[in-house]
Amino acid sequence: MTCLPDKTEKKLGLLIDLDICVGCHACAVNCKEWNTSGITGPMEDIKPYGDDPSGVWYNRIHSYEFKKPGEADRTVYFPKSCLHCEDAPCVTVCPTGASLKRSEDGIVLVNPDVCIGCKLCSWACPYGAREYDTSGGVMQKCTLCVDKIYDETIPEERRVPSCVSTCPAGARHFGDFADPESKVSKLAAANDARDLFPEMETKPINQYLPPRKRQIHKEKSLNHKVSNVKDALLRWAKLDFTG
Amino acid sequence: MHPALSVIVFTTFSGMGYGLFIWMCANIIIGTPPFREEIIFGTSMSFILVTIGLLSSTAHLGHPERAWRAFSQWRTSWLSREGIMSILTFGPIIFIGGETYLTLGLGFLMMPAALLGMLGAVLTLYTTSMIYASLKAIPAWHNKWVITGFQVYALSSGGVAYIMIAGWQHYQIVMYLMIVALIVKIMTWIYIDRNRGQYKRESALGLSDFGKAKPFEPAHSQKNYLQREMGYELGSVCRTVMRWLALGGGFIMPAALLYVGFPLSPIIVVICLAGMMAERWLFFAEAEHVVRLYYDKDEV
Repeated sequence: MTCLPDKTEKKLGLLIDLDICVGCHACAVNCKEWNTSGITGPMEDIKPYGDDPSGVWYNRIHSYEFKKPGEADRTVYFPKSCLHCEDAPCVTVCPTGASLKRSEDGIVLVNPDVCIGCKLCSWACPYGAREYDTSGGVMQKCTLCVDKIYDETIPEERRVPSCVSTCPAGARHFGDFADPESKVSKLAAANDARDLFPEMETKPINQYLPPRKRQIHKEKSLNHKVSNVKDALLRWAKLDFTG
Repeated sequence: MHPALSVIVFTTFSGMGYGLFIWMCANIIIGTPPFREEIIFGTSMSFILVTIGLLSSTAHLGHPERAWRAFSQWRTSWLSREGIMSILTFGPIIFIGGETYLTLGLGFLMMPAALLGMLGAVLTLYTTSMIYASLKAIPAWHNKWVITGFQVYALSSGGVAYIMIAGWQHYQIVMYLMIVALIVKIMTWIYIDRNRGQYKRESALGLSDFGKAKPFEPAHSQKNYLQREMGYELGSVCRTVMRWLALGGGFIMPAALLYVGFPLSPIIVVICLAGMMAERWLFFAEAEHVVRLYYDKDEV
């Protein structure tokens, strides 16, 4: 049913720390690895080794350069996947009921057996979270690894989305944003968590932690006598380590 | 947005079909009913235009065989509502055409059928326009001009089709409506030109306080579905040419030819339809989706 639930019991989602992300794309790769054989797979790969590869990814890693007058430039790696919005516009536009938001945990899913491939949901999403599977004729999107996080046959600590378990930098966290005591809620509250594109009024569940304030290093005066050091290599070492 | 032929044909053809049907119903209601042959020809033409449009829209689907499922989510989905209204409106179209052709003795139902037909056509056009106007992620569509436009253009293009069929003596009404439609289109363009740039990349990233953002390494080496579907970049020369084609073919030439007289009406219909297809091509090509902020656009 494409009516959104008034309230979901849980609000499962991701907290992505932009201060930590190094842009290695491991989350996107492991996402594809898991989900291509998961419940909504396969994820199409057309000419993967050709000149013009294309295919479906649930997670894409963008990167941006920020320039602000008076500050040094900053590079921000920006992983982007479905935000599992509370007011998900992709769900309400769906004419068939293939798109749904689960009332128990808030996960937004597409039922591939009902989807007619009209692509309207991808038009409605401001974030570009949905991609069209041309070979299957249906829309695909992040499932928050719903077939992994509830799998009781794997150890409990591994029941997190693939992108979270694989992140080598620890930039991604998974949890219940409806519980104020959860790790993600606390981290979000303590670190000025952001919604993407608040003007779109979608109330995203996933949150992003912005890059932290830079520590200002005072320029140290180089008043030691470098010229006293005869050896060129040592001169460099003295500058760098004792300066 | 990528201007797909299937949706351009869908909205222009069905728009003309519903407009034609509205004019026919209106004439039946106000008591200047067209002749028997004209009603049969007119309803057939409405039926064919609308059917071409609807079939064309299913060509856009990944699973056309499942299209029947689209009637189920009318509680929230404008696309579903549009599907239902278009099917319901076939009722009056078929009844008016069928009764006139077969004279089954149900003539007393003509008036209510014409009223219902008009209402159905107007609501179908409204639901179609709301499919687009409800999308906040596409600012060029998310406004009242789109809703007004779909009604007015259907009436203006359907009007020339009605004149072709019924040789209506009050054809000046359609001529004046062409001028209204022209003004609506120009106002729509002024609106979207003025409102371009209201959404910024920095806000899409949730980092408005970090200065100016520009893309660094691309997220993927080749274009993906999002860029193919929503990344259409319209050049300024192309925009100007297409705008003139749309205005000229869709409104100015039909109005001028109507001013001269209606014997030319089959030509007017062809010119008008071609102009409306240019207009609808632009409707898609000019509409920028906010997802482009994550890619090539600083602002949308």
